Amino acid sequence: MRDSLIILLAFVCGIFCAKFGWGPDFLKMPEASLCALWLLMLLVGLSVGLDRRLTSVLKTLRPTTLLLPLGTTLGTFAGASLAALLLALSVADCLAVGAGFGYYSLSSVFITQYRGPELGTVALVANILRELFTLLFAPLIVRFAGPAPLISCGGCTTMDTTLPVITRYAGAEWVLPAIVHALILDFSVPFWVTLFCAI
Amino acid sequence: MYIALGLMFLGLLLGRILYKFIDHALIGRLVFSAILFLLFLLGMQIGANDQLFADLPTLGGRALLLMIFCVGGSLLAVCLLARSLRDGRSKATARKPPDAR
Repeated sequence: MRDSLIILLAFVCGIFCAKFGWGPDFLKMPEASLCALWLLMLLVGLSVGLDRRLTSVLKTLRPTTLLLPLGTTLGTFAGASLAALLLALSVADCLAVGAGFGYYSLSSVFITQYRGPELGTVALVANILRELFTLLFAPLIVRFAGPAPLISCGGCTTMDTTLPVITRYAGAEWVLPAIVHALILDFSVPFWVTLFCAI
Repeated sequence: MYIALGLMFLGLLLGRILYKFIDHALIGRLVFSAILFLLFLLGMQIGANDQLFADLPTLGGRALLLMIFCVGGSLLAVCLLARSLRDGRSKATARKPPDAR
């Protein structure tokens, strides 16, 4: 939660700096954020490559555990496509926002770069809200839908910020499926977002 | 776009090869710093654009609606999946003769 607040603070600081004319002008140039995005992608790749958990988790995986991230992906995409009917946004834009699966930092940065700051802001807020919703409504989701839907609701955050509430309300036996779910979704975010931004 | 994906694959490969020499925690901190910097830039872009700044409440409303649909869709999909798995398992158990263990 602390990291989420720091991230939100960086975003708000950016708004205020621009409003009051603070900060160097070259930061407002698109080349600056493009170079920073490339650096970020290299670092994300490095962190995935360095993560030994992914290999060990994939070795001990049962096929039914894989159904959970598949269900989350299909359900999120179906929901995002339906939302496009009500919003003044294209289906591809809604799918790109949905494909963040709660990974608001990376998805919003990506979408800002390829679709502009307007959709990037929608992605940032929508994905922060997904994490907040999971944290706040975890007990109700487990009570009325069950433990697997709670993990699905958390998206990419189920191996870090929402893992404590999953352990508490769903039970310790759901920790491994939650981690596998987040690892797979985490890895898929750049692919889905890039794909939907390219359409 | 493809450069970004290519760089991610390059990083993945480097991570696999050099995992003994690179501090994982340091990379984690660098990723977080890069994300903070990029979101700061996103904030600057919004702050510098008066129209976009004025549209923030509308964008927030869109984001809320999108989140509700995305979460609703994934909840429904996983509920249906869990139910079909349960049904499949109970049918398989019902088909088994009682002494077949």
